[in-house]
Amino acid sequence: MEVTIISGSKPTKVKVEGRIDTTNAAQFQEKLDPLMKGENPDIEMDCAELEYTSSQGLRTFLMLQKSVMARGGKLVLTNMRPQVREVFDITGFSNIITIR
Amino acid sequence: MSDTVLDLHNQMILDEYDEKHDFFLKFREVVLRLLQECVEKNGITVITCDGRVKTRDSLIGKLIRKGYKYQSLSDITDILGTRVVTFYTDEIDKISALIEQTFDIDWNESVDKRKAQSFNTFGYMSLHTICRIPASLYQDPEYPEMNEVRFEIQIRTALQHVWATLEHDIGYKAGSVAVPTEYLRGLSRLSGLLELADEQFSQMRINVNNYRRKIQNLVTNGNFSEVPLNRDSYESYLKMDPFEKLIHRIASINQAEIYQDSLQNPFLEIMLEVLGFTTLEDIQLMKENYSNDAYRLALFQLGSTDIDIIASSIALKNLCIAAILNKETRKADLYHFYMCFGGTEESCMARAQRTIEQAKRINIIK
Repeated sequence: MEVTIISGSKPTKVKVEGRIDTTNAAQFQEKLDPLMKGENPDIEMDCAELEYTSSQGLRTFLMLQKSVMARGGKLVLTNMRPQVREVFDITGFSNIITIR
Repeated sequence: MSDTVLDLHNQMILDEYDEKHDFFLKFREVVLRLLQECVEKNGITVITCDGRVKTRDSLIGKLIRKGYKYQSLSDITDILGTRVVTFYTDEIDKISALIEQTFDIDWNESVDKRKAQSFNTFGYMSLHTICRIPASLYQDPEYPEMNEVRFEIQIRTALQHVWATLEHDIGYKAGSVAVPTEYLRGLSRLSGLLELADEQFSQMRINVNNYRRKIQNLVTNGNFSEVPLNRDSYESYLKMDPFEKLIHRIASINQAEIYQDSLQNPFLEIMLEVLGFTTLEDIQLMKENYSNDAYRLALFQLGSTDIDIIASSIALKNLCIAAILNKETRKADLYHFYMCFGGTEESCMARAQRTIEQAKRINIIK
């Protein structure tokens, strides 16, 4: 699993690749940590290369969404693959986080 | 004006003003804080709560106009003048009652200008109350006169404020020139018009509140067929936690944690526009008829996964899907439904098709 953050852009562009599962969910959260404190609360996350997310991954997305909202920003997930999108749909998370 | 020569008596009053000017600035600060607290703690929202210390020039003008009316500065009750501007006329009496409870009132000097107008005249409308700060409310050892000096509170609506400000401005700009009668008549007519508008706004608020109460009662008593579906009625309905049983049933599939999220948009929009619901009873019927299908859909989707977190909205989401699946226009409506949750046209169409296939597999539809 790889997370690339392009700082300085507005909104902050993030690219997430690979699988988020039980083995690396903590690492995923750690990599998103700077985004939960940053000055720019608008985030656009490209999920084109995201292959899978577990419940722990969903929890991290939720945590990021809450932190972004608390700072008056917006989190948008883009280019999601159908199988990942389905996880967001069947859990109701597509009602919580903006997906384009 | 500063160079105007006053007679000795009025000059003494002016000297006293100069001497106490700093006190009045401090007095203004304290009174405004107490006044704001008095209004806020009772949950009334006002447009402004402000005040000013009379300017030296304005005081000189008053002393000249009134001649020997005042014995000393303490006879002038509006050196500190404050103003509360409300949204609605009925809030004037409410705030006035709070002021009476909070401050000591000088009834001899207070005047209700609203009552000063006779039945066939229109003009300045405002409630002027002359007050003192009671020692039980506030004391400052450095300024013991805080509890002695009187100040004025004007309470008026936003529309009354607009009229009074414009009337003052027209009078001020005219200076010593007499304003023609037709203009004064115009002002009077406007005052009547604004009084009518104020009354209408208050009545409108009463009507809306009565409507809300009626809807809440109907919802509480379960008379859902009589309650039209709209934002207000839906909010009242949600307070009853109507989908709680279903969400716990769905959560039990994987012993999942439930994250409480919003059941507002896009669900209300979907129920009104896609499902064509008109009353709360339609939601009740959807719940009664499709809860099992909604659960089975969740079971099919979540049962083979180890996902242990779900949003509470998934219950209502699956209910809507189950209801749409039973419509003849299911494919187009599911596409519309998914578009409400974001995604490309292509992906929403594919999700609509996949949902129909899943529903067929578990025999929700043929």
